[in-house]
Amino acid sequence: MRPAPATVRRLILVLMLVLWELVPRAGLLPELFLPSLLKTLDVLVRNWAEYGHALTVTLYEVVLAMLIACGAGILIGAMVGGLSRVRQLLLPVFSSLYAVPIVILYPIFTAWLGVGSQSKIAFAGIYGFFPVMLSTAAGIQSIDQNFLVAARSMGASLPQQITRVVIPASMPTVLAGLRLGGALALIGVVVSEMLTAAAGIGYLISKYRTVLDSPRVFAAILMILVLSVLFDALARSVERRALAWQTAGRRDRQLPVDKETYASTALPA
Amino acid sequence: MQRVANLSELRAKEAQAAAIEVAELSHVYLGREGKVPALEDISLDVGAGRFVVIVGPSGCGKTSLLMMMAGLRRPSSGTILCAGRSIDVPDPDRVGVVFQEASLFPWLTALENIEFPLSIRRAPRLERRRRADAMLDLVGLPGFGARYPHELSGGMKQRVSIARGLVQDPPVLLMDEPFAALDEQTRMTMGHELLRIWSQTNKTVVFVTHSLTEAVYLADEVLVMSPRPGRIIDRVEVTLPRPRTYEMMATDVFGRLRERIWQKIRKVN
Amino acid sequence: MVLAAWEWLPRWAIVNAELLPPLSDVLAMFFTILGRSQVQEAIGVTTGEVVLAFMFAVPIGAGVGVLVAESEYFGQIFRPMLFYVFSIPKSIFLPMFILVFGIGFEQKVAYAAFSTVFIVIMSAAAAVESVKADHVLVARSYGATRTQVLTRVYVPSMLPFLLEALRISMIFNFTGVMIAEMYASRSGIGQLIASWGENFQMPQLFAGVVLLAAAAIGFNETVRWLEARCSAWRT
Repeated sequence: MRPAPATVRRLILVLMLVLWELVPRAGLLPELFLPSLLKTLDVLVRNWAEYGHALTVTLYEVVLAMLIACGAGILIGAMVGGLSRVRQLLLPVFSSLYAVPIVILYPIFTAWLGVGSQSKIAFAGIYGFFPVMLSTAAGIQSIDQNFLVAARSMGASLPQQITRVVIPASMPTVLAGLRLGGALALIGVVVSEMLTAAAGIGYLISKYRTVLDSPRVFAAILMILVLSVLFDALARSVERRALAWQTAGRRDRQLPVDKETYASTALPA
Repeated sequence: MQRVANLSELRAKEAQAAAIEVAELSHVYLGREGKVPALEDISLDVGAGRFVVIVGPSGCGKTSLLMMMAGLRRPSSGTILCAGRSIDVPDPDRVGVVFQEASLFPWLTALENIEFPLSIRRAPRLERRRRADAMLDLVGLPGFGARYPHELSGGMKQRVSIARGLVQDPPVLLMDEPFAALDEQTRMTMGHELLRIWSQTNKTVVFVTHSLTEAVYLADEVLVMSPRPGRIIDRVEVTLPRPRTYEMMATDVFGRLRERIWQKIRKVN
Repeated sequence: MVLAAWEWLPRWAIVNAELLPPLSDVLAMFFTILGRSQVQEAIGVTTGEVVLAFMFAVPIGAGVGVLVAESEYFGQIFRPMLFYVFSIPKSIFLPMFILVFGIGFEQKVAYAAFSTVFIVIMSAAAAVESVKADHVLVARSYGATRTQVLTRVYVPSMLPFLLEALRISMIFNFTGVMIAEMYASRSGIGQLIASWGENFQMPQLFAGVVLLAAAAIGFNETVRWLEARCSAWRT
């Protein structure tokens, strides 16, 4: 009798945590490479002042970056999606630009905005912008025209068509895009903090790596892991709640086969 | 306008007048290779309370004609009057429309879908609920109000769509191949149901279909259209008594009527 | 239009030319740096890392991807995990790779392979799933052997998706290499542009960015073109 997949998943998770604790203790891997889980947690709790402060810096940057990414993304995405002339012009350009690793722009940001939070926010804002923009555009463009005809036949004015039809109909795609954009904003902040920074969790990772203080490094890594999983879970639950009306078949369990969608569901870095 | 003594007199006057008058309607649109005549010199009168069916081959323009009657499209020339006034924007108070794709909004429940035209007009909540419930009963789906469209079968979706078209109590109901996407058995059931609803509400119905059988079964009068450019090439009065029954489909009269329509269509092809 | 702005805004001193060198300067610098041996070496190093990491990530990823797609059971176990993996910044594991491999070529290759393998898994699974079960059924009903089914149905069906997988995986791969080079490295283009940035050598920095962007877009469009040629049968 095979155990249910969900159970296997949880078992794997538990197993990984256990291994994290035991493997270094048993000396199978040097503590330098992988400090034991308990030691990592211990370090985290003991130095909570430092880590807490880093957390606030990082969160501050992430929130602002998300606001920029989602706000601008929705606005420009709506324009691109709604106006076919704009779309025809811009979409191929954005498609090609997707191939370029945005990381390489980061030194430009540090040169312009310095090493503080602004460069991180700007960089991560751009990082998260693209999926939001592309999803919003796709969501608006792919609305079933029949809905709009039906609404018109019932006497809906243009503003009403937008608020009562366009927005609810494009919600699923837009929300998925927001989730991705938010996750990418987080990734952008972490990467930029690791590269050149003076504060934040990413900065802690780099700082303690150079002095080979593994437990501290891993404490910071653990914080990021928890943050990103939490954000993802939160975003998904919001999505689920808002989209309670969707058919069962559309849930995330299926890997999307359409190339544009799955390209944009995956995050480089 | 003459002054009338009371509302019932006014209604009586309206009822006597033809519900729909189409006069010398022609339509030309710009295709890829220049102007394409879609409809040519269509004139017809639909008496109040009648059930008229329009049949014709694909592309003959019957859907376009219906869209124009609904005010969703403007003809190149000619006029359409509904209850004495011209119709050039959608007016759900006078004309209700049922589409082939039920076009129910998936993010609303069945009841909310039916209420939609009323909520666009900002009708008070209780009033909306009351009317929508009444419609739900009328179409034979009491208690299904809280279901979402994805939980309903094809036939049920069309019933909700019909309820939505009727919720504002328009004197005219236009239906564009509403049963085309249903399987044969559901089609027959729905046709029967439609006749019941029609007899209970005394609406004027203009129904477009491909199916000759359906046309003869449902109609008081069948208008036959030619292929593009669409013209009315025959008007067949269906003399079968009402209420119609399935058994009538096997009678000679039925067969002859259908044969006549079929021959007309064949000849023009 | 954007390019025109790039050229003229700094020249007219609307934007500080120190921060944003005019386009023509950047292009001039572009050709200059291509001539420098240091840069040519760096290009070689980066290319090597990209290729090697790809060669590791693709077989492993494809193998796991096929497993996930073919086996209902494993699919259900791993798919949700894969989705979570994507929201984790894989760059946080860079220090681990550095601790194990030190700073150098192997570390960057290992990290890039690590960050690429997951998208390869997803794309490979999608490619396998794209083969319509109906087509396989038809082939089987005509008595096609397993190999024939593989070559005559699976491969042509999957080809566009495989090319797509290739294209997208390379984007991730390239990004991974860049991050590793910019973070802690003694060679490679990523490291070069990072140091140009630190030293405020803006023309070189922009030239380097243009170089990388051109390479990325070039590869991307080539594969896209190939895809288009192979996808003629798809609507």
